Order: sequence, then C-alpha cells, then structure tokens
Amino acid sequence: MTDDDDLRSRLRRTDPAAGLAPVAPARTAQLLEKTMTTAAVKPRLDTRLILVAAAALLLIVAVGGWQLLRPPGSGHNAAGPVAVPSAGVTKKLTGPPAAQAKCIAPTATKLREYADFAFAGTVTSLYGDAVALKVTRVYRGAPADAVEVAQEGGSSETMMGSGKFEIGRDYLVASSEGGILVCGYSGEADATGLQELYDEAF
Amino acid sequence: MNPDDRRRRFEAVAPAVIEPVRRYLARRTDPSTADDVLQETLLVCWRRVDDMPAVEFLPWAYGVARNCLANAERAQRRRHRLFARIVHLDPPPVAVPENDPDHELTEAVARLRAEDAEILRLWAWEELSASEIATVLRISANAASLRLHRAKQKLRDELRKPGTGNGHEELTEGRRP
Repeated sequence: MTDDDDLRSRLRRTDPAAGLAPVAPARTAQLLEKTMTTAAVKPRLDTRLILVAAAALLLIVAVGGWQLLRPPGSGHNAAGPVAVPSAGVTKKLTGPPAAQAKCIAPTATKLREYADFAFAGTVTSLYGDAVALKVTRVYRGAPADAVEVAQEGGSSETMMGSGKFEIGRDYLVASSEGGILVCGYSGEADATGLQELYDEAF
Repeated sequence: MNPDDRRRRFEAVAPAVIEPVRRYLARRTDPSTADDVLQETLLVCWRRVDDMPAVEFLPWAYGVARNCLANAERAQRRRHRLFARIVHLDPPPVAVPENDPDHELTEAVARLRAEDAEILRLWAWEELSASEIATVLRISANAASLRLHRAKQKLRDELRKPGTGNGHEELTEGRRP
C-alpha cells in the first residue's frame, strides 16, 4: 500500500456521509418529476411556440404575375399557384423551420387562441420543399379546397407523428398568419391525442 | 436535441447523479441547505442537459452542485450579515461526523487552505481522479494534478507537525466560491 492509499483511506474514515442511507427510489422519482415540470413552465419556451414564417397571402400579392383564382360562390381571395391539382381555393402556408423547438404541452385553449386557420387534409403531392394537401375539412378560417405548404429542408421535424409530410397520409394542420403551428398542434391525423385536441378546440 | 431526446437523456442520467450529489452536499452543508441545493442542481442539469458530457457526467454535475452551493452560501452569508451585531458570525457550517473518528486528521485538514482541503475531499470522499477533479473545479487537468499533489504533501506536513491542536485555528475551512 502506498502513502497515497494510506492517506486516502484515513481521510475516507472521516467521511461525514459514510452513514448516510441511500435515497429512497420514490424520492428520486419525485425529484426528477419536480425538476422537469418546473423547467417546462419557463415562459421563454412559450414565445417560441409559434414559428412564424412569411405570411402566405402577402407573399402571393408580392409575387407579381400570379393569377388569383376566384372560384364561384366564394368571396375569399385566397389563392395560389397552379401546382395543386385542384380548381378550388388554394391556401399557402409555410412549414416550420428545421431547427428544434422547445414546447410546452399543447392545450385546446391555446390552439383556439393561436390558430387563425386549421384544417384536415391529405397530402396529394410533394415537389421538393412544396407540399400540397387536399382539404377534407376546415376547422377554422376561410374555406379552401387545397393547401400548399412550403417547408424548409424538405421536412417539418417538429410536427407530431413521423414529422414528415408523406403522400397519401392524412394530417391535421393549424396555422397562424401563414406559419404552421408545431409543438403538438399539427401533425399526422392519427397522432396520439391530436384529433381530440382539434375536436375540443373547434 | 429535440425535447423527447432531452427528456430521455435526463431520465437516463439523473438517477446516477442524484445519490452522489446528495452525498457531496451532505458532506459540505446542513441537511436543509443540501436538500435545496440538490433540487437546484438538478434543475441546472436539466436546463443544460445538452452541455452534459456523455461519459464524465458525474464530475460535471459535481461542478454544477459546487456552484449552486456557493450561491446558496453567499445568500446565507448575506442573511447572516443582517444579524452580525447580535450574533457572532459563524463560518459556513462544515459537516463533521458526530463522533469524530480521527481528530488529529480533522484538525490537520482544518489547518489547510480551503482550496487544498476541498481538493483532498474530492479525491478521498468523492473518490475522483485528478482529471475528474479538474472537471469539477473547471480547471486544467495539469493544474488539478499539481494542486492535488501539493495538497497531499501539505496534509502530510501538517500531520507530522508536533503539538497539534494548539488552538491555531483560522477560518480556513470555509469554502470560498
């Protein structure tokens, strides 16, 4: 045994925590839960909730030469390019940025508060970063037959479910000022709890 | 890291952090402060889980606990200062075994500089290597290795000194932030 070992064991014998009983598993669980819930309600997370990109309708006005479609029986000017195989009203939205977002648990109240447009739809086409959806039901906002989503980097990772738009799948999407709401407010229609959230909110 | 990954990572690592950090704090402060600082340490770990090293996470967590404890003690000292006129100000409490098994050693450690005593505690009580001590103290591995070597030497010198317990007790035991 070296001098070091001697010194170390001698010091160890004076360890005031030597007789300390191990922490109970219940206490560990309680500490963890308290930690994660305390941190989750930090207000700074809330401000990131809405990922606002360019307001879609303004964009359309800005880009000259695009024809506005005015379907019969609809007073709304929502319109878009003809990439969508639908003759009706097309609304354009911007997908969430690829960067990670920090979220608090979604609630129907917040959804109702934030969303100015919400719909159920099926993806009909994917062209690079452009996703086209055929609208099956509009929960909130002006009626539309199709919606185009421009997403960054070819994915919308912060959506519920697989985080991707795929052809043929059904989605529930809410948006605010043209930007898709993520953090549990948009995603695959069969994602856990999403349909219930929409039913409660609208 | 997305929120689910963060949560999973924290849940995987935290149980391995709680017990050692709890002991670390029990060795250095009173039970009530230890409780508060443990919770605060976990909060900081959770907030900074992205910065937490994959392997040497425990020394890193000790470093967080050390800062949280220093903050708590600063706050305590501020409160104590209010009573300075009527209460003889105590140095921060040091947890000692109820029946001191090695009085000579305890005295010798008490005569060391606070930094030296702390490095020896980290080495003997937390059973850390020099490089792990470096992580706790946020200093280089070389510096930690050198300081640990010197601290051991100083403690041996103190133990060799004749006439220990001569009343020469400075307030060197309190940890400085």
